[in-house]
Amino acid sequence: MTDTPSQVSSELPSRELSERLEQANRQLLQSEKMAAIGQLAAGVAHEINNPVGYVYSNLQSLGTYLTDLFRLTDAVDTAQSLEDLRQIRKSIDYDFLRGDLEDLLAESREGIERVKTIIAAMKDFSHTEEEEFRMADLHRGIETTLNVVNNELKYKAEVVKDFGNVPEIECIISQLNQVIMNLLVNAAHAIESTGTITIRTRTAEGQVLIEVEDTGKGIEAANLNRIFDPFFTTKPVGKGTGLGLSLSFNIVEKHHGEITATSTPGKGTCFRIRLPVQQPDIGIR
Amino acid sequence: MIRILLLDDEPNILTALKRLLREEDWLIDTFTRAEEALDALQAHRYGVIVSDYQMPGMDGVTYLQFARQRQPDAIRLILSAHGDRQSMINAINRAEIYRFLSKPWEDYEIQAAIRSAVDLYRVKVENRELLAEIHRQKDLLRLREEELMRLETENPGITRVARDADGSIIIDESA
Repeated sequence: MTDTPSQVSSELPSRELSERLEQANRQLLQSEKMAAIGQLAAGVAHEINNPVGYVYSNLQSLGTYLTDLFRLTDAVDTAQSLEDLRQIRKSIDYDFLRGDLEDLLAESREGIERVKTIIAAMKDFSHTEEEEFRMADLHRGIETTLNVVNNELKYKAEVVKDFGNVPEIECIISQLNQVIMNLLVNAAHAIESTGTITIRTRTAEGQVLIEVEDTGKGIEAANLNRIFDPFFTTKPVGKGTGLGLSLSFNIVEKHHGEITATSTPGKGTCFRIRLPVQQPDIGIR
Repeated sequence: MIRILLLDDEPNILTALKRLLREEDWLIDTFTRAEEALDALQAHRYGVIVSDYQMPGMDGVTYLQFARQRQPDAIRLILSAHGDRQSMINAINRAEIYRFLSKPWEDYEIQAAIRSAVDLYRVKVENRELLAEIHRQKDLLRLREEELMRLETENPGITRVARDADGSIIIDESA
């Protein structure tokens, strides 16, 4: 008889144990995802308040415009002469209204589209039911993620998308989105004033590469081999859970891929993810 | 005519604001970049400056700090999609803003806020003009008094000449 851990395993069938571990892992992943979304919430509110702000204001202006226009159309019945109608038409600045109404509607539509995109991205992003491997478009996932974190990035960095010709890969896209989000938010945090974040995708030797590179402050060599450890963080208390990269590591590992980081302090950091196109044990599952 | 400066990195916000200020009798300049809005401060005198809070590059508080140095009379307002405490504290303490408005807004809020900012600007300018006027008049008065004093020392009694109803000088023999 040995110590407790093996005792437990001898009492419980190993399959049940690994199921429990799997479930605990899933819960951890989900709560990290929710924590990350919580941190993003303020930024997303800002991102939504801007379009809602001008659409709402435009609707109020539209109300004023319509009141003016109705003055003209109502006068059709009451006016003494055509000249009277022309007078009213002039007094309400009809030509301006006509031209501006088109812009007003186009801008408002654009605003609502933006809100729709953000909401759809949030929904895509927080998908909990999608826990199965299936073929998915990485670029679409990256775009979705960019929509969610845009507000965290746009005041800090220019985001350069350098997308290669990449096939769909077999993956759990919501989980990969979470990895990309972690890397993007970390990249933005690493940049002190302004910089560039490059997202690169490539195909190499039958595998897919994703790189997230920033021009931030970099990671010291001493910390570089600890970044994937759970609870390791250099961010101030309350800013990071210390789980982001560790969970990203687990996700990539689950996808039979590999995540590595290279960094030059003062220059920037590059995270590289290597993923297979097809999961190797597809036949077993 | 009163000139208003609007700064927001989102052009659609600017057009929405222009729409709701259309009926007012003000000149309105809009900018999507803080750097250009800074240059505009050299070119024109503004009565009211409304800035977004968060923008790429220079943020609204920093911009308004510059504006405060360059055009201290202009009344400063922030229109922000961020309602958090820290951004308000920064705006009040660092940029000394008159109003903190949030997005989304009610049109009448913005109209009322800018109108009262324009009033305040007018009062400020008028106050200073009146003060300058008083100083000018005081100086004039002082010069006159000095002249009288000089005359009096040179010709004692000259400032106390009395005249009768038809303007002729009364010579008081008893003096």
